[in-house]
Amino acid sequence: MSPPASDSVIESVAELLAHALELEYASQAHYEQLADSMDVHHNAEVAALFRRLAMLSGEHAAAVAEHAGDLTLPRIPPWAFNWECPDAPEGADCLDPDVSYRMTTAEAIAVALHNERRGHAYYVHVAATATDAEARTLAAAMATEEVEHVALLEAMLTDAGGDQQRPAQDDLDPPHMPA
Amino acid sequence: MTAGDADSAVQRHKASIPSLKAKDYKSDVKPVWCPGCGHFGVLAALTKTLAHLALPPERVAVVSGIGCSSRLPAYLAVHGFHGVHGRALPLATGLKAARPELTVIAAGGDGDGFSIGGNHFLHACRRNQDLTYIVMDNEVYGMTKGQASPTTQPDWCRSKLTPHGTGIRRFQPAAIALAAGASFIARGFAGDPNGLTRLLAAAIEHPGFAFVQVLSPCRTFRPEQQAWKQQVHASELGPTHDTAQAAELIQRDDGLSLGLLYEQRIPLYAAGVAADAADDLTAAERLAAIEAEHCR
Amino acid sequence: MPGPRDASAPLTVAVTGAGGSGAVTAGLILLEAVAAAGLYGLLRRSAGPQIRGGESAALLRFGPEPVHCAGDRCDLLAALDWANHERFADEIPLDAGSLVLADPATGPPPAAVVESDTRLREMGFSSSAAERDGGRANMVAVGAAGALAGLPLAALLDAAGRTLADKGQAVVDAARACIRSGHALAKPEDRLREPVPPPPAVPQRWHINGNEAAGLGALRAGVRFVAAYPITPASEMLEWLAPRLERLGGTLLQAEDELASVNMLIGSAFGGVPALTATSGPGLSLMLEGIGLAVASETPIVVVDVMRGGPSTGIPTKSEQSDLNAALYGLHGDAPHLVLAALGIADCAHTVAWAVQLAWQLQTAAIVLSDQSLGQSRMVGEPAPATVPPVHHAAPGDDGPFRRYSVTEDGVSPMSVPGETGLAYTADGLEHDPAGAPSSRAADHAAQLDKRRHKLLAHDYGPDWAEITGAADAELCLVTVGACRGAVVEAAERLSEAGRAVRTVALRLLAPLKRQALLDAVGGARVLVVEQNHGAQLFHYLLAEQALPEAARALARPGPLPLRPGEIAAAAAALMDPDGGSP
Repeated sequence: MSPPASDSVIESVAELLAHALELEYASQAHYEQLADSMDVHHNAEVAALFRRLAMLSGEHAAAVAEHAGDLTLPRIPPWAFNWECPDAPEGADCLDPDVSYRMTTAEAIAVALHNERRGHAYYVHVAATATDAEARTLAAAMATEEVEHVALLEAMLTDAGGDQQRPAQDDLDPPHMPA
Repeated sequence: MTAGDADSAVQRHKASIPSLKAKDYKSDVKPVWCPGCGHFGVLAALTKTLAHLALPPERVAVVSGIGCSSRLPAYLAVHGFHGVHGRALPLATGLKAARPELTVIAAGGDGDGFSIGGNHFLHACRRNQDLTYIVMDNEVYGMTKGQASPTTQPDWCRSKLTPHGTGIRRFQPAAIALAAGASFIARGFAGDPNGLTRLLAAAIEHPGFAFVQVLSPCRTFRPEQQAWKQQVHASELGPTHDTAQAAELIQRDDGLSLGLLYEQRIPLYAAGVAADAADDLTAAERLAAIEAEHCR
Repeated sequence: MPGPRDASAPLTVAVTGAGGSGAVTAGLILLEAVAAAGLYGLLRRSAGPQIRGGESAALLRFGPEPVHCAGDRCDLLAALDWANHERFADEIPLDAGSLVLADPATGPPPAAVVESDTRLREMGFSSSAAERDGGRANMVAVGAAGALAGLPLAALLDAAGRTLADKGQAVVDAARACIRSGHALAKPEDRLREPVPPPPAVPQRWHINGNEAAGLGALRAGVRFVAAYPITPASEMLEWLAPRLERLGGTLLQAEDELASVNMLIGSAFGGVPALTATSGPGLSLMLEGIGLAVASETPIVVVDVMRGGPSTGIPTKSEQSDLNAALYGLHGDAPHLVLAALGIADCAHTVAWAVQLAWQLQTAAIVLSDQSLGQSRMVGEPAPATVPPVHHAAPGDDGPFRRYSVTEDGVSPMSVPGETGLAYTADGLEHDPAGAPSSRAADHAAQLDKRRHKLLAHDYGPDWAEITGAADAELCLVTVGACRGAVVEAAERLSEAGRAVRTVALRLLAPLKRQALLDAVGGARVLVVEQNHGAQLFHYLLAEQALPEAARALARPGPLPLRPGEIAAAAAALMDPDGGSP
């Protein structure tokens, strides 16, 4: 609803690290939710992919946490993070318009790519706008890492048969009534 | 527990990171919702809210009725009750009256809350007990396969049950809540979980009955609701304490405006009156005095 | 047929009049006087449908032994006026042995009274009252009726003081003056009883109606939350409970409807606070889905159904035992639950307290059947013994993840309440697995169904399942339920006095039915099932459960008139001696 004003900028390393941690944990939670959802809907292949992406996000989070060391991070309410967009750039866009229980691995990678590119864009934005020089440097380094993630996903996408849209398949069964 | 939790640095900064702590409020039951369902956003927002408010999970209870959204309690690691269709509010009311110190949240869908449970909605608004009521409104009955709900447009013809549309006017949740005396009325969007978190935190902290309508798109039966992402907008109203002003603006509203629409501090429902502290009788002595009323 | 001069036989005195005439107050004072005289009494009320100004009758039966039912006939009627008297004609059976006191100022008695061949005495209630400042005709009637019924003047005066205390001293003084006048108007030769000598010390007795007793039972058993919707004839139980719950730190919540109230109970019990509601037939129907939720989610709740004439709105102000089927069979699905019935006014306290205890021990719903004749009748009698220990819920096991619905040997699973760390679960009306997760698997459904049935069947209910009187080798056994017990026991006593060995079994626990215990109690006797409804609901239930011997019969009569000992004795005699003869 109300994106933070674009003039709300990162002012310290601690603030950046808090944002990075939130971003990675939200991303991890999002991928775990998608993996669970694909499990429930018997799409094992895509579930495994999202499970792997969740693990990667967890590892990123651990790396960021390690970087934080003994720094005291600010306590930020969920709605007060300085994202460029309404939601966390890499995670919590729960509407997932491109997600479906019948999605292919390639489609799932495309969803992940979208998220990782948003993450990258966020760090690039911070690297350019943070008022603290150290924060700008750190954000630039994080942006570089995100480039690697994006490259990894792009390679995976190629392996999975590329980005081309598969013709939509009809679900032959009507929606199901659980209870 | 995730691998990250074992990291000492993570442990040290846990308190600052909402999405990490949100996990503590999730159970290991996997949701049956369709991928892309708006309700995932509500689940994420609610767990983040509870984490932000640092409410101990054992002091929180989430009560629901029947429907897709009413599956919510099982997905949380707090105390839960998945009751019968339409009766989440009375069950929550009884729990809160019996255990006023608990944070009690009722949740459900538009059919559960506004149709079969409509009477309870009115009276819960009137009663102003310290409850939060989240209605995940997708303008359709999802679990029974896509029938029109009270909030469905009258000319929506895609249900076999009402092939010509319902032809009846839509239920206006915010206006009705206001008329029935609700002291907190907000509208959120499942596609904006962070904004929703802010509303839910305010609702839980509001001393009284807090009603949060969440526009929560149904992927399967109302695919056109994906457009809500572009259509929702901040309420021009902003939070108001003026009932007449709120009534006028809520009536003019297009139903897609988001934010805290109305909040008023009014006396709480006084349930659970404690025994008179002025006398020093024991419970047994009080009961004996009651028995003695009937002895001759 | 002469009036019963035997001083030990109970006497029935009725006071009738248009609303506002004070017939009900007169009855209350007479009941107080009965207590002050050291006697036992039962005061029933009958009223028209008007909120104010309708006709009403107070029907008092009293004697030196406990009184548990309406008598066969009326010994003494004090008619303050004849407003709509025909409505009471069936409820106040007059005969040649009856004495009727009538105020000539209110016109001639109706034809039915004249035709009953009763003894009529004109008595100027209103003219006598007019001689006193603030005098009321009903108080003159109290004095006259009290004198003829053998109640000491001192007891009547004392009773007026107690009953009218909150109306001020002037009202009490005027009432006492009128009682003295009435007492003097009564002719000694008309006396039905010689004055009772005042007791050396009045023994402590309960002065209570069934609705109050049921409320007291709830408080004794630890109920601290009540949610309810007003309904006749259960509302007085709620009105009694509201202030007293507050004194004990509890709450009564007036709900928007019965759908709400039953679910509020479930919420409270889920929170660990024992909860109860009171309703009547229409409310029970609305609660059935919620009761099923309590069964499936294994949440203890207690619903007291103060039965009235049905179906539909029926006869809201009068009694009937016609909700048995709804209570036993009303739930959808296989939903084993507890159904109990209070066997008397004081027993409302015991049965409700036992129901609360059982509901918590067995984590299920209990329906307690009372009825209008218990709920709204006031007795002076022996208190129900307070023997019920406080309720408790099973302590959660402490090893492994919490499995709220685990299948245990006795079928009762560990139960936690909010606030207990690490023991959170989601209670569910969906079928579930032992951990509480929704499941539609056949094995889970079978295991949970078995468990919910087993825990009820395996429980040791002790001797309270029924009240039994009479010899084991009786030739006839009267099987009954609820409020009928009083009349059934009295009928059996009469038959025994006439040399016929008759046993009675009054069921307090209807479901689960203690089938073998019932068959054992009946022994080789013939059985007559006695109940106050049109469809012989108890009889058919017992037949379906194969709990009756061959050739059992039913005496089933609908309300609103009470089943009287005489008609039960006659039906029993007819069963024992099909060729005629009476006890």
